[in-house]
Amino acid sequence: MTVLQAVLVSLFVYLGAIGSVVGNTIGWYNLGRPLVASFIVGLIMGNVPVALTLGLLLQLANLGSVTPGGAVGWDLSYATYIGVAGALAFHTGDIAATTALMWAFSTIGGAIGVAMWNLVYVLDLACNRVAQRGAENDNPRLMAFANAGLGNIIGFVCRFFPALVILVTTAVAGSQSGVNVAEMIPSWLVTTLTTFGGMMAALGMGILLSFLMKKGVHFCIFLAGFMLVAYLGLNSMALAAFGIVVAIIYYYILSSKSESEVTGL
Amino acid sequence: MSERKVISPKTMKKAFWLWFFWNGSSQQAETIVGNCLGHAMTPVITELYADNKEERIAGYKRSLTLFNTEQQVGSICPGIFCGMEEAKANGECTEEVISAVKVALIGPTSAIGDSLWVATVIPILLTLCMAITNAAGNMGWIGPLLYLVGYPIGTCILAWNLWKLGYKAGVEGIHRFMASGKLDQLTKAMTVLGLIVVGGLTASNVALTVPVLITPPGGEAAAVNLDALINQIFPNLLPLLLTLGVWQLYAKKKWAPLAIMGLILVLALILTGLGYLTGVYV
Repeated sequence: MTVLQAVLVSLFVYLGAIGSVVGNTIGWYNLGRPLVASFIVGLIMGNVPVALTLGLLLQLANLGSVTPGGAVGWDLSYATYIGVAGALAFHTGDIAATTALMWAFSTIGGAIGVAMWNLVYVLDLACNRVAQRGAENDNPRLMAFANAGLGNIIGFVCRFFPALVILVTTAVAGSQSGVNVAEMIPSWLVTTLTTFGGMMAALGMGILLSFLMKKGVHFCIFLAGFMLVAYLGLNSMALAAFGIVVAIIYYYILSSKSESEVTGL
Repeated sequence: MSERKVISPKTMKKAFWLWFFWNGSSQQAETIVGNCLGHAMTPVITELYADNKEERIAGYKRSLTLFNTEQQVGSICPGIFCGMEEAKANGECTEEVISAVKVALIGPTSAIGDSLWVATVIPILLTLCMAITNAAGNMGWIGPLLYLVGYPIGTCILAWNLWKLGYKAGVEGIHRFMASGKLDQLTKAMTVLGLIVVGGLTASNVALTVPVLITPPGGEAAAVNLDALINQIFPNLLPLLLTLGVWQLYAKKKWAPLAIMGLILVLALILTGLGYLTGVYV
């Protein structure tokens, strides 16, 4: 594998990640699916048939991969690009050996992908402050930069470079063990960032509440919603359905009350 | 009487493309895809409130709040918001109604999108293309190429139609309530809906634990996990208090979000340090 090939594969690792510059329809759900990803690696490495053989295995094993609410357990895009490219670099004609290598490389790649996703999920918090400033200063272009620009710069740095490092230290160097950038992040930092991220969700809720919670009685309704999930464990669909039912009943009561006022009944 | 404000087709298309290409950029723990939606809504807000700076700023801020959905079939959501913003620009809708509908759509559209589209339609399309690859032999590249080209085009057409459907539903839905002259009641009822959903989202999304293990001398087995203890008294009490604290600082004390973010970072550092000190983290 040449450095240029490694650069190209790493570029597609980024493009196929969640929230890349081409959007999730062209990126994560297209360039990031193993069927397509292995095809692209095959084109870059000049061996489409073997790449597709490997890609089909990965695709079959991860057919129903869903990322509910951004909870990524396994980065399919990262796993496929690193897995197929890494294995192809060592391919000598024995497909069984190459397949085994593909699983090994994809496991490393998938794990790096998850670590980077978790990192980006916290680092991107910086975008919110920029977007907020844009909103407050009547500057929609700054809001656009916060999302499409800054968000993608962070995404690119966190996806492209770790992929390049692992590919260059393994496939390009001809070694089967290389430098895993994700493992170089100290565990205390990961713990702090995870804690920070979990707590920052409170700011998202707090800002929303500033739009909705204006009277004392509103606090009780908020608390009721909280307890429906904390105590009764409703999922988000059930919660919304319940909320709608309550809102309709409340609306009906309010309307009939005002009608009786108008007609004097 | 001034003319009714309407989103021009050009602006609508621009908003759609902003959403299509950047619907996942800058996702984070605070507002999830809030920035993406805010970005997509900028041309709409700019056009609708062209003559009122205050309204415009309020509109930008409103569109940046917490939001999440499956971003492809969930394109119906920004469509709905366009419809409601248009109604709002014409005095037919209120900020509370928009915020409430926004949070209420999070759960259902995520669930439907993920299970119907991502877990059903995409695997079927992939299986189809895989079968083509297997059958095509030397021409195996046809399968991925078909998916590579066909999937984005098909999805884009579907998303745009769902967007337009949402827009129509937003405008007409609000208009129906306006015709009956019940905007005040609608605002009150939707506020209830919004508060219930935000309450539930707080319980499921905000995470705060106190990693403190109280170990009596010589009694490893009798160690008390402070966090488990608190949750026995009231589940998720700490996330609830944190959210209310942040709301207090933001809405009442007018703290800047950046300052709140700094405070939370300091708290996170202290908590992590506590965890290492008391042996919860190793």
